[in-house]
Amino acid sequence: MRKLFFYVPLVLFLLLTVFLLSGLFSDPRERESASLNRALPEFALADLMQPQQIWTPQQLHGETFLLNVWGTWCPTCNAELGYLTELRKQGVKIVGLYYELPRDPTFDAPFNLKALQQDVAQKLQQNGDPYQFNILDLERSLSLDLGVSGAPETFLVDADGIVRAHHIGDINPQVWRAKLAPLYQQWSQP
Amino acid sequence: MKYLIATAILLLSSALNAQELLQFDNDSQRDLYRSLTAELRCPQCQNQNIADSNAIVAVDMRQKTYELVRQGQERQQVLDYMINRYGDFVHYQPPLNRYTLWLWVAPVLMLTLLLGTAIYRRSRQPQHNADTKSELNTELDQLIKRYRSKKP
Repeated sequence: MRKLFFYVPLVLFLLLTVFLLSGLFSDPRERESASLNRALPEFALADLMQPQQIWTPQQLHGETFLLNVWGTWCPTCNAELGYLTELRKQGVKIVGLYYELPRDPTFDAPFNLKALQQDVAQKLQQNGDPYQFNILDLERSLSLDLGVSGAPETFLVDADGIVRAHHIGDINPQVWRAKLAPLYQQWSQP
Repeated sequence: MKYLIATAILLLSSALNAQELLQFDNDSQRDLYRSLTAELRCPQCQNQNIADSNAIVAVDMRQKTYELVRQGQERQQVLDYMINRYGDFVHYQPPLNRYTLWLWVAPVLMLTLLLGTAIYRRSRQPQHNADTKSELNTELDQLIKRYRSKKP
C-alpha cells in the first residue's frame, strides 16, 4: 500500500503531461458553431447580381447546399474559389453569402452596388465561379445571426434548411475529404 | 498671467470639444454598454474583448450591443443574444455546467486532500516525538547524575 502511494505523484504528473500536450496541438479556433443543428435564421436579403430578387430561407429548401461566406477583399476566399468551382462541377450546390466590409461614414465612400458587382464578376472570371447565386449581406445581419466570425466560413445546410456542419477557414481538398464530404454525402441522401 | 490664460484656454477648448461618439439615454445605459463590451469576447481575434478589437465582427457586435442597450434591454438579455449566436465562448464568464464544474471543484478538492494528509501525518507524529524525547531525557538525566557523582 505504501509503495503504491509512492507512484501517485508520478501518475498525476503523467496525466497532466498528456493533458497539456494535447492542448499544445489543439487548434484554439476549432469550436462548435452555435448554429449547428438549427434552422437557418430568418432573413430577406437581395441577390448580389439581381437586386430585385429577394432571398428568404424558405426559397433555399429542397436541396443540400454549402453556404459559403466570402468577399473579394479576402485573399483566402479568392484562393478557395478554384477548388469550390471544381466541387460545383462535381455537382455540389454552393450558395455565396457576400460579406461586405463595414464602412465608416466619415472616411469611406458610400456603398456602390455597380462597382461591387463589377469587382465580383471580375474576381469570379479570374478564379472560377462556384456559386449558383450570391446573397448580399450588406449589413452582415445574417452573418451575425449565423455566428460568423470572419471570412471565409462555410455552412453545410440540408434540404430542410438545417445547418449540419460548419467550417472556419478555406475549403481545400484535404478539408473537403476529411471533414465535409462525408457529412455532405450523409445529408444529401433523400 | 499669460500661463493662466493659456491654461484656461486649453481647459475650456477641451471641455467644449468633448463630444460623445455614442449617445445614451442615461448613465446606467452607458455603464451597461461599457461593461458588456468589456466582457464579451471577440470570436475573431481571440483573447481580446470586443471593446478592444477592431475586427469586423467585433465592430458589428459592438454596434449590436449598442442597439440592444438603447432599446432598453437588460444585461442578461444582451448576453443571451450573443451567446445564442456565438456560443458560451463569447462570454468571458463561463457558465457552470458539467464540463466547467472542475474549474471550481478541482482547487477545493486539492486543498481538502492536502489538509487531510497534513492532519493525518500530524496525528501520527507527536506520539513518536514524545517517546524519543523522554528517552533522550532519561539518558541525559543519567549522564548528569553520573557526572555529578564523580565530583567530590
